[in-house]
Amino acid sequence: MKSINILSVCGSGTVTSSMVAGKLKEKLSEKGYAVSTTEARPTEALNLAQSGRFDFITFTSPLTPGDYGIPTINAFACLTGMGEDEFFAEVLKTVESL
Amino acid sequence: MDTELIKIDLSVDSGEGVIKELGQLMTGKEYVKQGYIEAVLKREAVLPTGLNIGGTCVAIPHTDPIYVNEAAIAVGRLCKPVKFHNMINPDEVLDVKVVFLLAVKNPQSQVELLKKLMALFQNIELLQQIEKAQKKETIAGIIEKAIQ
Repeated sequence: MKSINILSVCGSGTVTSSMVAGKLKEKLSEKGYAVSTTEARPTEALNLAQSGRFDFITFTSPLTPGDYGIPTINAFACLTGMGEDEFFAEVLKTVESL
Repeated sequence: MDTELIKIDLSVDSGEGVIKELGQLMTGKEYVKQGYIEAVLKREAVLPTGLNIGGTCVAIPHTDPIYVNEAAIAVGRLCKPVKFHNMINPDEVLDVKVVFLLAVKNPQSQVELLKKLMALFQNIELLQQIEKAQKKETIAGIIEKAIQ
């Protein structure tokens, strides 16, 4: 089983990032991936991304500008449910290209 | 779901008013610590939590787990909608009829619960049932069923 490490970023690094992480785990494990997620604030994201531990970032709060070195995916669709299919399509495309 | 944390006929004129009313219920029953309300208000000003779910708008104010003793959710249904800024586009102002004030204790271990709550906030049918419910118990029942 391929394992995926996702950095889930939101305003306070707690609530919405965990909600998004929960959805990602569900969707990706259906596809046969082992998913581990870490929740973080935007201010922590750059350092964490550069640690090399993560495959990509999803965010529900704007990321601070910088060289993240890994794909960053806007997860706003997870908050309203609208456009969620497109979001998961983008996530899957990213996962498959790893 | 503690029904004492549900208000079905809140009459306040701002999002701040809702957070204070519901926050006091939570503080009174010690679900949250002193300072929780201020922390939620401060966060809401910078990182708003209004969501437009296909025309029905809700808000899910919350703050750091350090202010929380025990996980809880308070629900406030407004007589007249109040303004919350949109989480996705903070410049946009939404008319919010139902507010879910969240006290989250261990987000890492509550991922499953949070995911279910998120699904509830996105379910227009359930939101409409919450908007129309005659009794607190009905709302509590909807939420309990959703997070089972």
